[in-house]
Amino acid sequence: MNSAIEFMIAPFFATMLLIGINVYFGIHVIKREIIFIDIALAQLAALGATVASVFFEHAHNHGHEGTTLEEYIFSVAFTILAAYIFTLFKSRKLPIPLEALIGIGYAIAATGSVILLDTAAGGEVHVKEMVEGAILWVSWGKIIELAIVFGLIGLLHFIYRRKFLALTDDYSKTQPIKHAMLWDFLFYASFGIAVVHSVSVGGILTIFAFLILPASISALFMKSWQSRIFLGWGLGTIVTVCGLYLSWNLDVPSAPTIILVLGVCLLLSLIVKKVLPSSAS
Amino acid sequence: MIQTLIFLSAPITACVLLAGMLSYFGNHILTRGIIFIDISLAQIAALGTMLGLLLGYTEGSSSVEIISLLFTIVVITLFALTKREKQTIPQEAIIGIIYALGLGLAMLLAEKIPGGSNYITKTISGNILWVTWKQVLSSLLIFIPISVIHMIFQKQFIAISESKRKLPFSISHVRKFEMLFYMTFSIVVVRAVMIGGIFFVFVLLIAPTAIATLFHSAWRLRFIWSWSIGLAGTIVGIYLSYQFNISNGPAIVCLLGGLVYLMTFVKMAPHRQSVK
Repeated sequence: MNSAIEFMIAPFFATMLLIGINVYFGIHVIKREIIFIDIALAQLAALGATVASVFFEHAHNHGHEGTTLEEYIFSVAFTILAAYIFTLFKSRKLPIPLEALIGIGYAIAATGSVILLDTAAGGEVHVKEMVEGAILWVSWGKIIELAIVFGLIGLLHFIYRRKFLALTDDYSKTQPIKHAMLWDFLFYASFGIAVVHSVSVGGILTIFAFLILPASISALFMKSWQSRIFLGWGLGTIVTVCGLYLSWNLDVPSAPTIILVLGVCLLLSLIVKKVLPSSAS
Repeated sequence: MIQTLIFLSAPITACVLLAGMLSYFGNHILTRGIIFIDISLAQIAALGTMLGLLLGYTEGSSSVEIISLLFTIVVITLFALTKREKQTIPQEAIIGIIYALGLGLAMLLAEKIPGGSNYITKTISGNILWVTWKQVLSSLLIFIPISVIHMIFQKQFIAISESKRKLPFSISHVRKFEMLFYMTFSIVVVRAVMIGGIFFVFVLLIAPTAIATLFHSAWRLRFIWSWSIGLAGTIVGIYLSYQFNISNGPAIVCLLGGLVYLMTFVKMAPHRQSVK
């Protein structure tokens, strides 16, 4: 039991950091109804890393921790470029939803990685790892890195919270606030960087689940931003503990387990909501 | 040359059918703004396939397809029932959740199937060149009654797709049509995914209709354009993948997807001038 706790303490802290930032962004994403954006940015970041690892052959020893500098730079560059393009698309009235363009970006990034990895040896392992991540093998160095990056992004969003919240609350309007395009770009760019770092630890699927699931559950019960964030965080903590415990005990991969526990929570809260319709406020 | 043509005749016929069916549904999906539905449906169908494999049936057998289909229909029926007059969680988010849970489960199952992780990758890329005439003909047999249903109820389906805030009929009435719509849709998606893989289906649904919608708003025109674009895209994609020796699914996806981005920029350029 002690060994379990010792083994799980680093993954626990890592997951808490991931939940901290992603629950917040998740509420934005749900309100903007651009559910896809996170998966698309994550997949683009992964494509960036893949491009880097194909270009710079020596970067091929990764598996545990080894994101090389080139891979990192490419990931960030790809997401920031995507952030710029999405902002550009958003600023015009187009007859197709932004979500469609985001979705197509995702498909290109995902299959683009497959094309590139087809030529690289051991491609299938990479694909699986990209999707699944490896929270259990996270190091303390990585955790400190996450804390610093998320801290900075969190600070940016805290200082300018009025701008970011107003932008999201009036997302259907083209120009809700002054310099909307700049703030929109900052939103996507900071989100993109958060996604790059999150995904390097948790994998695409886990991060997607952390974004969407707690935010959806809190949207069922709460209206204000603050209460949604705190409910999401509380729920995320409990679920992480349960999920890590289950995955240790049953010897199954941790990420899918946490996701499924979150799913069960959503089902339960849907039932609660159905039974107690008056509790909504 | 002739041998190549014979080899390619079945895949190309399959492309004609799939481009037609998928671009028709794509117009509905795009108008509704639930872009995710196909990927998450496809993931559920893939999960159903893995379930079938886990039960000991062989890959590609009809038992696996039936299990996969039943599984998908159950999930999609649940989804159709989440339609409310006022949506607390956007439908798109529910779809995303279904996707995440489906993929999560598929990963857990992959551990139980020999070579299971290999199977996840295969589902992602797919290969239309391996399609057989038998598959093409059975697809045709499945698609004809579905097309008939959609021709009979086209007014209702279009009315529901176009309603953004207010429902055109009573909620119970809407739900009945929704279930019919999503059931036929999932039958088509399950079929198509077995032939082409998740991303192939996704892009064939969204990309051609996105291009068509950029330039036209009438349903009939959009349908004709998206069918043509989808067909041209798949055939050129197959040709390119043949030439450069890359997987054809990803080649088609990148080609059609890239075209959407290109056309969006084309659309944006003169638009800016006409406004200012």
